[in-house]
Amino acid sequence: MSSRRIPRLGIGGPVGSGKTMLIEQVVPRLASRGYKVGIVSNDVVSREDAERMRRSLATERGLMCEDLVVGLATGGCPHTAIREDPSMNISVVEEMESKHRDIDLILIESGGDNITTTFSPVLADHFIYIIDVSGGDKYPRKRGLGIESCDLLVINKIDIAPYVGADLSIMERDAKVIRGSKPYVFVNCKNGQGTDDVTEHIIRDVLFEAPPKVVKR
Amino acid sequence: MEQKYMSIHEISIEEISMMQLSDSFFPSGMFTTSSGLEALFYSNRKITDPDQLRELIKVYLEHQIGPADCSALGNSYEHLQRKDLQKLVEVDNIIFSMKLIEEIRNASTRSGTQVLKCVSSFRTDNSILNRYREAIENKRASGVYPVALAVCSNALGIPKYKAGLMMLYGFTVSMVGAALRLGMLQHFDGQRIIHGLKPSVSEIVEKNIGRPLTGMWQFAPDIDILQIAHERMSSKMFIT
Repeated sequence: MSSRRIPRLGIGGPVGSGKTMLIEQVVPRLASRGYKVGIVSNDVVSREDAERMRRSLATERGLMCEDLVVGLATGGCPHTAIREDPSMNISVVEEMESKHRDIDLILIESGGDNITTTFSPVLADHFIYIIDVSGGDKYPRKRGLGIESCDLLVINKIDIAPYVGADLSIMERDAKVIRGSKPYVFVNCKNGQGTDDVTEHIIRDVLFEAPPKVVKR
Repeated sequence: MEQKYMSIHEISIEEISMMQLSDSFFPSGMFTTSSGLEALFYSNRKITDPDQLRELIKVYLEHQIGPADCSALGNSYEHLQRKDLQKLVEVDNIIFSMKLIEEIRNASTRSGTQVLKCVSSFRTDNSILNRYREAIENKRASGVYPVALAVCSNALGIPKYKAGLMMLYGFTVSMVGAALRLGMLQHFDGQRIIHGLKPSVSEIVEKNIGRPLTGMWQFAPDIDILQIAHERMSSKMFIT
């Protein structure tokens, strides 16, 4: 069973931190390298994120089939749905795996929650946690399981740091202290700055540099 | 059949298993369902007090979950005792086809298959459980919740009647939980509703657990319409 499992990457973070925009930056980069991606988007209240990604990545740009973006409601309990009881997510992911054996990676976007978010290891093999500078440069220092334990910490919206009084050097210093040797990256998902690094991280640490399953001719 | 008396040890294990499967912490995904309650909340037909919600849950139990799901669970038990996979699959197919609303059908099979998967991770040697899972993998069965719960409960030594109680109690708790998260009531009201429904749960299980397969029914068109309305909501917190 495990040999048939498609690598799964969880992307968590607070509402508005840029999870959807990060996916919109990373998926085209992965697609340009030949990797085919499926997305399960957990929404707290609406299907807006899933519909937006289906439109922007599948319908308009043709980077994936429309049915490879699935929206899932979480009963108002976004972190329960990815950690304590990921049953519905696992069911959707398994259905996607059985229908699309040719995809290389499944992204599971969390429904947006607080700094204690983590993914069940059964649901996600690897975990990216994204925060943004608008919460202030105290954010990494405040810790929380998400920031501490994720495999890659992404700090978004660096372009607005001067306007919200966030000192990126403080965030970097605290990220190093809190996370030790585990990686972090500063990004601006509006213009794509830093998202090449995220893409490389995924190819190296999630896909283990395996070639795409389907080679385009 | 030879009467077998249980030791105190066996009884306590069986009862702990019952607590485990009916605990809202057990990973069934049911916290993501409202069975149409969310659509009612956003309609102009508001529930204004806890008594109304209790009566609504009773309608679900009497007209949907009791005569359909509870009967399916009871029938499944009969075939499980005889290890008759073919008949078990027949019950699965019939109760699946009785679930008219796609969201409800999907939620039921998603919960059922995940509950089976979880129980089979620690109850590895139950042959009928493993064969039923194979039937699901081979698309002969759907893994719909009442049949899956029967298979799991049977594998853990829980008697049929108690499995029926667990299912109706679990449904009641999931409805009250959804109402709480929608802000329809406060937490003490929720427990009062659950307490108030205990006699109904017991009575409905007793009435339906032995119902033959050919006598299974459900008729709650107003609830069907609510569940259809939920499918069409563009913004929602629950999967049903």
